[in-house]
Amino acid sequence: MTGSVVFRKAFLVLAAAALAAGTAVPPALAQVKGGVLRVGNLGEPPALDAHWTTASITETLTNHIYEGLYSLDKDKKPIPMLAEGHTVSKDGLVYTFKLRQGVKFHNGKEMTSDDVVASLVRWGKQSIYGKALFAQVTDVKAVDKYTVDLRLKEKSAIVLISLAVPNNFGAIYPKEIAEKFEPAVKATEYIGTGPYKLAEWKPDQYIRMVRFDDYKSRNEKPNGYGGGKTAYADEIRWVPVPEVATRVAQVETGELDFADDLNLDAYDRIKKSTAARPIVAKPYYWLVAVFNKKEGLMTNQKLRQAWQAAIDIEPIMKTVAGGKSEFYRMDSSLAPVEITAWHTKLSGLPWNERNKDKAKRLLQEAGYKKEPIRFMTTQEYKWMYDFALLTKQQLEDVGFNIDLQVVDWATLVKRRNNPKEYDAFTTGIGAAYDPTHHVYLTAAWPGWNNDETMLSISAELARETDPKKRMALWERQTRLFYEKVPVIRYGDLFGMRAARNNVKGFDESNERLRFYNVWLEK
Amino acid sequence: MSSYLLRRVLAVIPVMVVVVTIVFFLIHLIPGDPVAVMLGPEATPSQIQAARAGLGLDRPLHEQLFTFYARILRGDLGHSYFLDRPVTRALAERAEPTIVLTLSALFVAVAIGVPSGIVAAAHRGSWWDRGLMFLSLLGVCIPGFWLSLNFIFLFAVRLGWLPAAGYASIWVDPRTALTYMVLPAVSLGFNQSALIARIARSCMLDVLQQDYIRTARAKGLSPGVVTYVHAFRNALVPVVAVIGITTAILIGGAVVTEIVFNIPGLGRLIISAILRRDYPVVQGVVLVTAAAYVIINLLVDLLYAFIDPRIRYD
Repeated sequence: MTGSVVFRKAFLVLAAAALAAGTAVPPALAQVKGGVLRVGNLGEPPALDAHWTTASITETLTNHIYEGLYSLDKDKKPIPMLAEGHTVSKDGLVYTFKLRQGVKFHNGKEMTSDDVVASLVRWGKQSIYGKALFAQVTDVKAVDKYTVDLRLKEKSAIVLISLAVPNNFGAIYPKEIAEKFEPAVKATEYIGTGPYKLAEWKPDQYIRMVRFDDYKSRNEKPNGYGGGKTAYADEIRWVPVPEVATRVAQVETGELDFADDLNLDAYDRIKKSTAARPIVAKPYYWLVAVFNKKEGLMTNQKLRQAWQAAIDIEPIMKTVAGGKSEFYRMDSSLAPVEITAWHTKLSGLPWNERNKDKAKRLLQEAGYKKEPIRFMTTQEYKWMYDFALLTKQQLEDVGFNIDLQVVDWATLVKRRNNPKEYDAFTTGIGAAYDPTHHVYLTAAWPGWNNDETMLSISAELARETDPKKRMALWERQTRLFYEKVPVIRYGDLFGMRAARNNVKGFDESNERLRFYNVWLEK
Repeated sequence: MSSYLLRRVLAVIPVMVVVVTIVFFLIHLIPGDPVAVMLGPEATPSQIQAARAGLGLDRPLHEQLFTFYARILRGDLGHSYFLDRPVTRALAERAEPTIVLTLSALFVAVAIGVPSGIVAAAHRGSWWDRGLMFLSLLGVCIPGFWLSLNFIFLFAVRLGWLPAAGYASIWVDPRTALTYMVLPAVSLGFNQSALIARIARSCMLDVLQQDYIRTARAKGLSPGVVTYVHAFRNALVPVVAVIGITTAILIGGAVVTEIVFNIPGLGRLIISAILRRDYPVVQGVVLVTAAAYVIINLLVDLLYAFIDPRIRYD
C-alpha cells in the first residue's frame, strides 16, 4: 500500500470518528503498524491451496494470502473484491467482470484476466462451490487485459455468491500456478494478491505470513470479509498448538496474542483474566444428525420423523455448551441469524417438539421393531460426542434402540461415504451463504438426500434470479426439510476464542478469523 | 566381542522387517482415509476418489507394501501426503526436539532417581528412606499429562517464571532453549525417576549386605567411602539396565509431553500422522523408533561389560 493511500484512509477514518463521537480525539489514532501477531490454532492445514480443500483452517489461512473476484459483506452478501464490478447481459446468460487495475501478485506480476480465467477454470473443476457454478457455465474467457466474460447455459442465481464464498473459494492465482497444478493435485506454490504473503511454513511449528507492501487495498471501509484491508501487523505467526489447555495458558501468559478453538469451560477463567478477553464465535456450527437415506433403516421417513419428534433440544444444547447460555441458540432456521438474507422465521415447524407420544406413534407406523440403529460419532470433537450421547438417551426413552458407534474423525469421514456402514452420523453444519450451498440437501454429500421434490427446488433456486421468488422457494424448502427430515437440525453452537487486550480492531462479527485491519497496541 | 556385535547388528534386520510389516498392515487396516481428512468435511465422494488415485491409494494393498519395501531398500521412506515432503526430511526436522527432550528428561530422571535410591538404601528404615520412597511412589502414580498441565499453570501462568509451551533450538539460542525445556524435562523425568530410585535402592541394599562391605566397614572405612566407592559401582549394573529401559520409555512418553508443551518432535508427529492417516509418516516414525530401541538395548549390553569387567560376550 502506498503512503498516500494510508494517509487518505487515516484521514477519512479520523474524520468519520470525530463526526460520530463529536470529539477531537478519534480512536483511529491508536492504529499502529508493526509487531508480530501470534495466533494459536488447533492444528496444521492440509494445504494452502484454497481450491483444493473445504477444511476450515485452510479457509482461514488462505483468505489472508489470496483474494477472489468477490467477497462477503457484513450481511454475508457478495461485494466486489478483485473485480471492479460486473454487468449482466439482457438474457442473463453473460456476466462481464471488470477487473481492478494495478493489483499485484506477491511475485510482483500484475493480475490480469488471463490469471482470472486460469484460476476460475481450475476452481470450477475442484471446489464444491466451483463445480456447482461451472455446471451452469459454458465458457469463461478473457475479453481484454482487464475484462472477463462468463457464459452460462441457463440463467443463474449463484454466480456472485459462488465467487464470494470464503470456503474452498475462487482464489485468483497467477496463471502459471493455476495451470501448473492439476485441479485434483494440491498446489504447493503460494502466490496471491492478499495483504499478507507466505514467508515460511514449518509444519507443526508455525506458518509465517508477512505484510505485502505492494498490496492494493480497496478504498471502501472494512466490511465483513471484504472492503478495505490494511496489514497493520508486520507479521502473523500461526502456531499450531494441539492441546487446548496449553492454548489457554499461552494466551494468559502472553506467549500468544490470540487463541482459537478453545473449550467452553475456559470461558470463566479467561473472563476473569486482566490480560485477555473471551470472544464468542458465531455462528460456528449447527449440530446435526445426518441420516443414511440410501440404504438401511433410516430410509424410512416415519422413523426419521419419530427421531425429530422425540428429541428435546434445549437440554442437549445446554450440556454441549457447558451450561452457558452465551454459547448456544435455539433456532429452527436452516440459515443462521447472521446470514440475514436467508434466515427464516417460519411458524408451525415440527422442530424441538419434545412429543414422546407422537414419536411412539410414528415408530409404530414405521413398523420399527427395535432393530439397532447405527449412530456414528467421535470423541475427537467433544461436542459431537456429547450431543450423540444425550440423543441416544432421549431416543431410547421412546423406544429406539441406538447402537452408538464411537470412532475417530478420520474413520467417521471415511465410513460416512459407504451407505452400508451406518444409519446416522454426527457432524456440524457451518455457515452456508446461499440456499444452494447447504450440502446436506444435495444428492452427492454423505447421507444422500434423494428426495426429488427437494432436489428440484434446489435446482430451481440455482436458476431463479428474482430475490422474492428465491425466498419463497427457500421457505418452501425449509418446510419440506421438516417434513422429509433428511437430517435433524439441533441448535446453534458457538465457538470460543480469546484475545490479549493489546489486540485491537478484530472484527468479532466474522465467523472466521481475519487479521487484516487488526493491530497490536504498544 | 566383535562377532557378538556383528550378530546383534544383523539380528536387527528381521526385527525391523517384522515391525515394518505389522505397522503397515495395522495402519492400513484401521478404517479412515487420509484424503477424506485432507479434503475437509464437505468434500464429495468424487473429489475424494480423484485425490486417492492421485496418491496411489487406490492400488491393491500388497502392491503398496512391495513399493514400500522397495523404497526402504533405497533409503526412501516415502512422501508424506499431508506435509507434502519426504518422510526422511519430516523425521530429520523433528528428531532434534525429541532427542533433546529425551536426554534432558533422562538427566532429570537419573539426577533424581540414583541419589534418592542410594540415600534411601544407606539410611534404610529412616525418615529419609520413607520420604524418598513416598516421593517415588508419587512419581509412578501421577499421570504425566496432569503433572505437565499443573506445572504450566503454576510456573508459567501463576508465577510467570517459565514459558508455558514451545521450543527453541539449542543450536540457535541455548538460553531460550533451556527455559523452554525445563518444565517438559522435569515433568517427564520426574515420572521416570521413580523406577530408577526404586531399583537403585533395592540393588544398593543387596550390595550393602555383601561380605566385602562388612569387611570394608570392619577395616574402619568411613560410611561414605563404603557406600559410594565400594558399594555403588557393584550396584550399578542393574541400574544401568533400568536407565536403558527408561530411555526407551522416555521416547514413548515424550508423545504426551510433546503434545502438552507443544514441542514439534517425533511424538507429536506420529500422533498427528495417525489422526490424519498419513501412512508413510506413521511407518517412518515407527521404523526409526524401533531402530532406536534396538540400538539402545545394544548400547546397554555393551555398557555392562564396561562397568563390570567380569562380563564377557565372546
